[in-house]
Amino acid sequence: MYSAAVLERVRNPRRVGEWPEGREDVGTGQAGTLDEGTTVRIQVRGDAGRIVEARFKVFGCSAAIASAGLVAEWLEGTALDEVRRITPERVVDALALPAERAHVARLVVDAARQALDDVMEKAGRRP
Amino acid sequence: MVGPIGRSTVIYLDHHATTPVDARVLEAMLPYFTATFGNPASRTHRFGWEANEGVERARRQVAALVGAGAREMVFTSGATEANHLAIAGVAAASPAGRRHIVTVATEHKAVLDPCRPLVSSGWTVTELPVEATGLVDLDAAARAITPGTALVSVMLANNEIGVLQPLADIARLAHAQGALMHTDAVQALGKVPVDVAALDVDLASFSAHKLYGPKGVGALYVKRGVEKRLAAPVRGGGQERGLRGGTLNVPGIVGFGAACEVAGREMPEEARRMGGLRDRLWQLLQERVGGVSMNGAEAPRLPGNLNVRFEGIEGESLLVGLTEIAVSSGAACTSAEPSHVLMALGMGRVEALASLRFGLGRGTTAEDIDRAASHVADVVGHLRRTSPVARLAAAGASR
Repeated sequence: MYSAAVLERVRNPRRVGEWPEGREDVGTGQAGTLDEGTTVRIQVRGDAGRIVEARFKVFGCSAAIASAGLVAEWLEGTALDEVRRITPERVVDALALPAERAHVARLVVDAARQALDDVMEKAGRRP
Repeated sequence: MVGPIGRSTVIYLDHHATTPVDARVLEAMLPYFTATFGNPASRTHRFGWEANEGVERARRQVAALVGAGAREMVFTSGATEANHLAIAGVAAASPAGRRHIVTVATEHKAVLDPCRPLVSSGWTVTELPVEATGLVDLDAAARAITPGTALVSVMLANNEIGVLQPLADIARLAHAQGALMHTDAVQALGKVPVDVAALDVDLASFSAHKLYGPKGVGALYVKRGVEKRLAAPVRGGGQERGLRGGTLNVPGIVGFGAACEVAGREMPEEARRMGGLRDRLWQLLQERVGGVSMNGAEAPRLPGNLNVRFEGIEGESLLVGLTEIAVSSGAACTSAEPSHVLMALGMGRVEALASLRFGLGRGTTAEDIDRAASHVADVVGHLRRTSPVARLAAAGASR
C-alpha cells in the first residue's frame, strides 16, 4: 500500500534526533497524541534567517515517519519566511500517501509550523 | 521455514493463519484428482466405490485424532462452514423456549459473525468477557447460561494468543442447563491432544489447512444423537447424512485424513520441539529487544504460539519494518483496527496495535528463531530510536 519513497524513509530514516528544548537557536513543535496513535515532534535550528538543521521523532505509522523525514529534509536550508510553503498536500503528493493516511502529513506540517513559530519567537521576531 | 517471497527469503512465522501442505499429505491426495476421480455418491460402479473408500478412510483418520466415532464426522468446506452448521443449524432447530446463545468476546469472527444476526430473529446473544489471562470467567459463564440457552460456543485454543480455555468446565455448565456445547477447535487440532469425550462437547469444528492439510476442507464433529437438534443450512443431495449437501471434495478430504494421521503420530514430539523453540524465541526477545510483554502469559497455551507486545513503538510501522519475517499483528495495515481479542484482554488501542503474533510450525528451525529474534531486535531498536515516547531501560534496547 505504500510507495517505495515511504518504505525507503521508514527503513533508512535520516534526521532522527532531538536537541534540548532550552537552546536559544532551537524551536520545537509537537502535534498529535499517543491516544490518537500518532505523535510527531519536530525541531529546527535557525541561524541568520534560515533553518540550518532539522530533527524529528515520531511515534506513528510508516506514513508519519516518512512524512516527518521528508519535511525535516525540506526544512533544512529554507528561509524562515518560506517555511509556510511546505503544505500537507505537497507531502501527500511527494510520498504518494494513501488517502486514509493524509491526516498524518497534516500533523507533521503542524509540528513544523509550531517549531518555526518557536524559533522565530526565540530570535525575537514575531511570526 | 524459509520461503522465497520476491527476491528475498522470508521466514514464515504465521502458522496460525495457514500451513503448507505436508509432502506426505499431498502424495496421498494426488491420485484422487486423476485415477481415483469418482464421485463417492456413485453407488453403481467402482469409480464411486473407490472414491468413497478414500472418504471413509479419511473420516476414520480425522475421528481417531479426536477420539470420535467416524459416523460423528461431517465434512464441510472448512471451519467457517462447520461453525455455521453448528450455530445456524442449532438455531434453526431449537424450540421456542431456547433462543439464547452464549459465546465469548475473544472468539474468531467465524463464530461471532454467525451469532450476531440471530438477534434480528428474536435471539439473545451473550458474549462473555475474558479475564486478563484471556480465559473465560467461569462465574460469568455460570450466570450467563440459563434454561433458555440453546448453545454455548467457546473456542478451545485462541487463534491470536493461543490460550486454551477450560472447555470441560464450561461444558458442564452448559449441559446442566440442557444447552448444547460447541467448540471451534481449529487451532488446537494436531497441536495439542483433543478428545471430544473428555472435553464433553456436542459439536466441534476443525479445518485441514491449519495442520498441514489442504485449504477448503473442514469438519464438524456431531456427537451421536445431536444431529436431531441440527437443521442443516446446506441441503441438496443428502450427503453427509443429510447434514451437508453437495458433492464431497474427495482429494481435500483424503488430504485432511492424511494430515490428521501424521499429526497424531508426530504431535507429542513436535509439541515438545515447538514449545522449546517458542520459549527460546521469547527468551531472545526479552534479552535482545527488552520492553516486551507476553499477551495471555498466565494461561496454558498452544506450543507454537507467542503473542508479544512491544513498548514504545507503533504497530503498523513495526509490521512494515519487518521485511525478513512473515508474522501477523493486531494491526491490519489497511484499517489499523486493533485486535478485538487483545482489546477484550483490557488492552488500550495503542498497546493492542503494538503486538505481534508469532506462529511457529513444523518447518520452523532453531536458526529461523535466532534470525527472527535478531531481525525483530534491529527493527524495534530502530523504531524506538525514532520514537519520542520510548522510555526503555532494557539492556537490549540500545542495540
